[in-house]
Amino acid sequence: MIEILLIPVITAIICYILPNTRFIGYISALGAVILAGFSIPTIVSSISAPIEMMNGMLYMDALSGYIMALVIFLGFASALYSIGYLEHELKAGLTDITGMRRYCSLLHLFIFTMLLVTMSNNLALMWIAIEATTIVSAVLIGFGFRKRALAIEAAWKYIILCTVGITFALLGTFITYYASTAVLGTEGTLNWTVLKGIAGKLNSATMKLAFIFILVGYGTKAGLAPVHNWLPDAHSEAPSPISALLSGILLNTAFYGIMRFISIVEPSTGNTFTGNLLIIFGLISIGISSIFMLVQDNYKRLLAYSSIEHMGIISLGTGIGGPLGIYGALLHVLNHALSKPLMFFASGRIQAGYGSTKIENVTGVLSSMPLLGTLTFIGVLSLAGAPPFNIFLSEFTILKAGVDKGLWTVVGLFLFFVVIVFYGVLSVFGKMLFGKNIPTSHPHGFPSSKPLRTDFSTLCSNSIMIVMASLIIVLGFTIPGFIDSTIRACINILGVK
Amino acid sequence: MRNWIQVFSVIDFISVGILLTAVAINALKRLESCVRVYALNSWLLSSLIAIVAFMVGETHLYIAAIITLLSKGILIPMFLRHILRRMKVIHDVEPYISNTLSLIISGILVAVVYASLREGIFVTGFSKNVLQISLAVILIGLFIMITRRKAITQVIGLLFMENGLFLAGFSLTFGMPILIELGILFDMLMGVIILGIFAIQIKRVFISSDLDKLTTLKG
Repeated sequence: MIEILLIPVITAIICYILPNTRFIGYISALGAVILAGFSIPTIVSSISAPIEMMNGMLYMDALSGYIMALVIFLGFASALYSIGYLEHELKAGLTDITGMRRYCSLLHLFIFTMLLVTMSNNLALMWIAIEATTIVSAVLIGFGFRKRALAIEAAWKYIILCTVGITFALLGTFITYYASTAVLGTEGTLNWTVLKGIAGKLNSATMKLAFIFILVGYGTKAGLAPVHNWLPDAHSEAPSPISALLSGILLNTAFYGIMRFISIVEPSTGNTFTGNLLIIFGLISIGISSIFMLVQDNYKRLLAYSSIEHMGIISLGTGIGGPLGIYGALLHVLNHALSKPLMFFASGRIQAGYGSTKIENVTGVLSSMPLLGTLTFIGVLSLAGAPPFNIFLSEFTILKAGVDKGLWTVVGLFLFFVVIVFYGVLSVFGKMLFGKNIPTSHPHGFPSSKPLRTDFSTLCSNSIMIVMASLIIVLGFTIPGFIDSTIRACINILGVK
Repeated sequence: MRNWIQVFSVIDFISVGILLTAVAINALKRLESCVRVYALNSWLLSSLIAIVAFMVGETHLYIAAIITLLSKGILIPMFLRHILRRMKVIHDVEPYISNTLSLIISGILVAVVYASLREGIFVTGFSKNVLQISLAVILIGLFIMITRRKAITQVIGLLFMENGLFLAGFSLTFGMPILIELGILFDMLMGVIILGIFAIQIKRVFISSDLDKLTTLKG
């Protein structure tokens, strides 16, 4: 289990001290492959039976395994996509060799911190890991900071807002410790497994207070409105592969923290308290993001707002609760972690081809770059929640959970906002994908219709995008047995009845 | 000695000192003095931990006190001073609101904390004022962050918030395991260093350390 944590650190060090940077992208991708190879047996065994290590500091069960598998898959996808991305940036003069070294090693450190979040059993250790993700990813966002002023602005806002937010989460963690001292006697505990055992005996008023702090703290990191302001800036200014990681999995690791807390708060407070808070935060997130998506002129920002919307849907599903609601939320985590990174990868290529992130400057992607256009089209339909795709399935599950519980107002508002999102996403990307391919003047001086060379790095990023698109289509029709059983195991662990 | 601490309520005095240093930041005009007051605040925090360690006789609290003194009391103020010298901004804080108003608002914040925690679901072992004071320090730190213009003052506000948080955590938990304490401090130290680097970059790119210039990204 320790080797899973060591491999990204070693890869990071190797990337940083590498004398020749020609193959740095490939080495970082290789590190991600080795990580995947070593972690698969541990993840598989953690799903059937929990693993504990280091006096209960580290712990893995099905929920950890589920999120960890997503971290590792997306880490690999980003590393693979980064090869071509870095080559392009180097050619365009947007970065240099030190920048590339720094980028690759920080990417792996970022993966390391997220893995630590999923593995930590001690809630304070989890806090440390989540705060570390903020610090590492803030540096990654400011990666090109000598060249671009906007990236510094975004990184500054990101680190300030998230650190302040997460400070409150630490206060919530301390309060949880305090609540446990009342039950356990002199020495309290922060181990999730122990807390889960005594959850029913914790003082409910204290736990309510703790949960509010936790929800505000980790909610800031998970991008729940109204504390989401850092998210559109950070996601739109980060390098595309990093945006994919931020949106696809970082938000989910923060929400994973909230889920862990829910399962120790609910037994004493009852599920209406946590449920109502999550439903309210979820609906506000979906509502605010749907309105902001209508007025966007930058497609990366639009995708960022779409992340807020999807985190809102996950929060809504968790809030509605019951096995079906949690099932929908966890399935949505997976689906969003496939669709959004695909879209960020595609938008990175569109940005490279058209030299702009403004929606008005991009038309006719399908005719100028047929493969990329098709992949984007699949991603867009999935994100909008169109029927034969994966996100429709999980949104429908959450909707059904809401109907089963008779929460008609919630269901009505959810449907209303989702319709706005559907229109917002499809109208913008429809215009970008179809429409005439007008050659625009390019800031770097090469024409927009120039076909991308099919060298090896492009092949790598194309293949990972094709894999993701096919997964999106497959998951729209059927949920494979092993995913289904993993999610059921997660529901068991969270103790939802 | 133990009696002496109790009779003169040394712990209350020190925690009031922590509150006063936090309030004082509202009235300061120079960035250098802000850093100095932050250092004083951290020393008080660490001496509070040391005295409680003496009272309950726990070794790991002594270690926590020493670590706090080294990182928050010495390293971070030194680093902030270094940043200020690099940025060549030692003069005004330039708040959005007047010092008088911000002092009044800080006073109100303290009153609000005391009023809302009057019933008190918390019973802390060594003093009944520490939790209230720590929450007040957190709120004052937040208030400083939103009403000051310079990048460095935001960092100082954040640091005050974190000192308040440490005090709150200390009063609620009597000190975390040393490994956790170290992890939290390490995160904080890294955060401050990164923020310092970004502050220098902001100064270089925007030719100003005012955060007013950071308004391109919105909506």
